[in-house]
Amino acid sequence: MTVLLLILSIIPLIAGILIKVLYVPASEGIDISGAHIFFTIDLPLGGLPITESQVNSWLVILSLFFFCLFLTHGLKTKNMSRRQIIAEWIVNTVDNLVKTNMGEFFMGFGPFIAAMLGLSACSSLLTLIGLFPPTSDINVTGGWALLTFILITYYKFKAGPLIYIKSFGDPVPFLAPLNIISEVATPISMAFRHYGNVLSGSIISILIANLLTNVSKMIFGFLPGYLGGFPYLRVGLPAILSIYFDLFSGALQAFIFAMLTMLYVSGGFPEDEYFKRKRIKEAKKKQQVIENTNGGV
Amino acid sequence: MNNLDVISLNIWQIIISLLNLVILFLLFRKFLFEPVKKVIAKRQTEVESVYDKAAKAQDEADELKSSWESKMKTAQDEADKIVKEATEKADRRNEVMLYESREKAESIIRKAKADAERSKADAEEYIRKEIIDVSAAMTEQILAREINMDDHKDLIDGFIDNLDGSV
Repeated sequence: MTVLLLILSIIPLIAGILIKVLYVPASEGIDISGAHIFFTIDLPLGGLPITESQVNSWLVILSLFFFCLFLTHGLKTKNMSRRQIIAEWIVNTVDNLVKTNMGEFFMGFGPFIAAMLGLSACSSLLTLIGLFPPTSDINVTGGWALLTFILITYYKFKAGPLIYIKSFGDPVPFLAPLNIISEVATPISMAFRHYGNVLSGSIISILIANLLTNVSKMIFGFLPGYLGGFPYLRVGLPAILSIYFDLFSGALQAFIFAMLTMLYVSGGFPEDEYFKRKRIKEAKKKQQVIENTNGGV
Repeated sequence: MNNLDVISLNIWQIIISLLNLVILFLLFRKFLFEPVKKVIAKRQTEVESVYDKAAKAQDEADELKSSWESKMKTAQDEADKIVKEATEKADRRNEVMLYESREKAESIIRKAKADAERSKADAEEYIRKEIIDVSAAMTEQILAREINMDDHKDLIDGFIDNLDGSV
């Protein structure tokens, strides 16, 4: 059962490689473009192209889902397995992160932040097995940033629309236009930061690979036939570079994205006003109840 | 055109990726956070129950210990009391016995004394009678004449009384 779940969590990644090998034509030379389009569904507003980024996102989700099941099946209170220790470590770490950055009120954000970290990091790390990273598609990071924006606005609205509108004229009223711009700029900057980092990483990887191919052609070009054409320098060196561009940058961007989400959502939430309003509402409710009981008598 | 442009916005793709994140959030909540938190909470309650049990056992042991100690103390007191009572009883009996034996001894002594006195008196009486008889016979012989016992009784008695005083 355990092994089966682990295999199930790896299968989506293998499937991704297979799909890439079967359906995506190999690019030659410097070819910087977006995701490969498999097919397009006819919808208004430009239709829905099903691309590598969509497919790879789903594969990552499937893989993470099975990995979760692998970690959490057969949880025990005594004699914990190593899987359970890992699962508890993940949960506790994310919860602590949420607690320190957002406070007790937002403890329900734990799974959301974990999902954001997992999806973003694993999407970026798909480059390690040669797949197209969905995070280098602006639509993917844009979707996440849009969700963050919705959450920010939702929590700002919690203390009532009046306080939401008032928050734009914060230090001085005439700064309101700037505040509105910065409000809108928040998700856009988040989306572009993540997308740009991952995309630039893969672009640099392509450029370096191309450079190394050319240099090795120059140095070893005198060798006869196929031996001369083989890019010797591409063995090893790009792997070292990819430790930074793929591993480090991917994980860091995921962390930054989750961190910014936490800070913006909890920072925009007018806590004092919210609890004041809540108290007033509760007091009103109590009074109403008292009045009702008095009327009944 | 087989590929997307590097920057190409598509509203459906944005919505799909948004929903992807929401779906993964729900999956994580249902399959990672909830079971793990449940297990942690369960373990917490188990640990607490174990601690409670241990505390209860400790309390019981303490109670038992104190009760035993008090019992031991009362037993000691009882033993002391019993020994004391026994000693007192023995003392009392000793005294009584001593008194009784003394009394007995005294009564024996008294009896012996009385016996001795009586036998002395008897002896005196006997001696007196003998003397009377002897003196009567002697006087009879000495005077060689009949003595009227009735006439001379006063004389003899006076003599014997004198004898008594001299004796």
